[in-house]
Amino acid sequence: MLQTIRDRAQGWIAWVIVILISIPFALWGIQSYLGVGGEPIAATVNGVELPARELDRRVQQARTELRQRLGAAYDPAEIDDKALRDEVLEDMIRETLLLDEVRRLGLRVSNQDVQIQILLDPAFQKDGRFDKETYERLLQYQGMSPAMYEAQLRQRLAAGQLARAISASALATSDELEQYQRLIGQQRELSYSTLALSDYQTDASVDDAEITAFYEANSDSFRSPEQVKLDYLLLDSTDLAAATEVTEEDLRNVYAAEQARFAQPERREVRHILLKVPEDAEQSDVDAVAEKIKGIRERILAGESFDALAKEVSEDPGSASKGGSLGMIESGIMVPAFDQVAFAAEPGKLSEPVRTQFGYHLIEVTKVVPAQIKPFEEVEDELRAGAAKQGADRLYYDLGERLANISYESSDSLEPAAEELGLSIQHSDWIGRDGGGDGILAQPKVIAAAFSDDVLGQGLNSDLIEPERDRLQAIVLRVAEHREASVKPLAEVRDEIVAQIKQQRAKEAAKTAAESLAEQLRQSKEWATVDPELEITSPGLVGRNAPEVPRGVLDVAFKLAAPSDGSISVGTATLDNGDAAVVRLSRVQDGEVKPSEDGRPATEVYILTQLMGRQLSDDMLQDMESRADIERMNMGGEDGL
Amino acid sequence: MTYETDEEKVEALKKWWKENGLSVVGGVVLGLGAIYGWRLWTGHQESVAAQASSAFEQLATNASAGSPQPDAIAKQLQLLESEFGSTPYPGLGALMAAKAMYQAGKTSEATAALQKAISDAPDPALARIAALRLARIQLAEGELDAAEKTVREHDISAAFAGEFAAVRGDIAAKRGDLSAARAAYEEAIEKGSALSQLLRLKIDNLPAAG
Repeated sequence: MLQTIRDRAQGWIAWVIVILISIPFALWGIQSYLGVGGEPIAATVNGVELPARELDRRVQQARTELRQRLGAAYDPAEIDDKALRDEVLEDMIRETLLLDEVRRLGLRVSNQDVQIQILLDPAFQKDGRFDKETYERLLQYQGMSPAMYEAQLRQRLAAGQLARAISASALATSDELEQYQRLIGQQRELSYSTLALSDYQTDASVDDAEITAFYEANSDSFRSPEQVKLDYLLLDSTDLAAATEVTEEDLRNVYAAEQARFAQPERREVRHILLKVPEDAEQSDVDAVAEKIKGIRERILAGESFDALAKEVSEDPGSASKGGSLGMIESGIMVPAFDQVAFAAEPGKLSEPVRTQFGYHLIEVTKVVPAQIKPFEEVEDELRAGAAKQGADRLYYDLGERLANISYESSDSLEPAAEELGLSIQHSDWIGRDGGGDGILAQPKVIAAAFSDDVLGQGLNSDLIEPERDRLQAIVLRVAEHREASVKPLAEVRDEIVAQIKQQRAKEAAKTAAESLAEQLRQSKEWATVDPELEITSPGLVGRNAPEVPRGVLDVAFKLAAPSDGSISVGTATLDNGDAAVVRLSRVQDGEVKPSEDGRPATEVYILTQLMGRQLSDDMLQDMESRADIERMNMGGEDGL
Repeated sequence: MTYETDEEKVEALKKWWKENGLSVVGGVVLGLGAIYGWRLWTGHQESVAAQASSAFEQLATNASAGSPQPDAIAKQLQLLESEFGSTPYPGLGALMAAKAMYQAGKTSEATAALQKAISDAPDPALARIAALRLARIQLAEGELDAAEKTVREHDISAAFAGEFAAVRGDIAAKRGDLSAARAAYEEAIEKGSALSQLLRLKIDNLPAAG
């Protein structure tokens, strides 16, 4: 039979079979080259693919950074996911483009430069020196081998080289510097007169047609925002603790079980006299001190008062003045040699001299309080609070879980959960997207949930929300009432409109008056001939940012055409507070031109070159982008976050 | 073809080898040689580029110093051009050198370096940057026609339109054509020039009869 197979295997049928079998082997894995069914791609830049996964990672990272930067002000609902995603994608595209361009141009950084960069990176240093272990471990964290990291670093350094070549080579021509200094340092001689808005306010009535017209033209500014009223169930472990009953029997059990916590060891009231022995004392000196303390002991035994002698001779500055008293001590507080004697001695009996590292002591125990256990009555309140808190926390987690389940299962009402768990449904007032509630209802997470699609759009219960992680507080809410953003009715805002119209009229009147005044000034040139009564402010020659001159006046004064010799320029301004002003410009003086300071280029050179250098780097990228082959895949913004 | 026995098959193989063996061995040797040669060549290119990069870094450091030494920089630029002409570094080096030369008061050397930066530019964007600087130096030197020509030849990318418009505004202002200057400045601000705030001041400062 084998012979038959051999014979047949030579025929054409065998070849067909072999070819059929080899096709799958030959094509195996080819999809990863063709990009068919492979990893989803966010964009391609000159043929380089940016994986969607990397984009997701960076969006996540950007969000984390945002959260850290904004802190408590961070509100996930306020962040436009699509915009953030687009922004991150554009960054990635530009980065990839730059790296690709650098590779295409053939920019290259030497091994030595890469090495130096790594050696100097503080992230890889331990105790101020490069540490190979740290280096490898850090890379491993990021899932990179040293070779991969070095290749990446090399690319980045090369890209930096290109950017630097452009920004560091920026120059400011002598002409530009001169012009800049002249303009920035320019001063103008001016005087002005203000016409107070209040002088142009009249009591003339405003008619209804005007009010209606104003209301219709400015309806946007009378909008009230979209608001909801909420029903909610609140679970708060503080409330639960207050309501938790703890029986005395339970407390006694805890008391018995934790006896050690309430034990009070033996305490003794001790007094002593110390004669110091320096650490490096000669033996003869030590002996002398020993003799001396013996003498003191004799004197006490002979009837002298311990108290008085301590004050007289003790060299322990803390206790000497108190007659040597150390107060109540527990065993283990003093140095061992002292401790041993103090806790062995009979009360009222003077010890032999005791040698410690400080010197020689005479010790006397004056009182002994035996070891005891705090009675139950003394610790009952403490125990009760602890037990209540513990019980409440346990109850909180238990109720929280059940609340989440029930409100999810019957998601069109809070009643079942309230009944089951013995909670009462609470009602809020109107709350907008920008807050309006207080307490837990002011939390961004709660507001975001209230306006979410599930809760507001579909009328379901929210999930269980715990706005602050370390505070045991949870809420489930649903929307009870909803009101769309709307324009407030005319009747409600009528007074406001009247006031605004009057204000506007006064402004216009003041402006008209200012203009006619300006016209007269143009004719007569001098304030005095226009009206000697006018109140004139003359700050004289001032710079662009003179703090004493109102912003509106400065803006006009520095825009007026420079007057030729002997003539003036006149303009009118409206100030922030609505007052009008007439501005008279008599002279323009350009800033001083200083090409260099002490042999160094002027500061302005750095300002100019930095601005231009940065802009040109951006322009270059933009230029490259316009020439590059960039394809952005349209993704439905998978947002599993 | 079919073979009756194994001996016949071996015979056939031997015969085939006798006829084609030399070409097979030759092919393999040639292939290996090509791979090896290619790696040698790319390795060489890499090391040339790395050397050029170091040479450029030296030039850049010199050029960014507080008071650059024009002679040393000229020498370094020459080295880049003669030794590393195949790399992008002479173009970048010329940009750096131009700045240093201009700062040292050697205006004609600076314009020459910028001309070189334009012709050696490894990327069109770099040529445009060099041209922009060239036009501005020409303007400062009062060579208005030359500046205008430089701008006309290189203002072809939307990305740099704002910067070039600002230069056109300066040229027009120098010629006293106030309305053209105003229009060009406005265009520059709109197209995102780096110095839009300064341009505003320039517009405000133009004499009134615009």
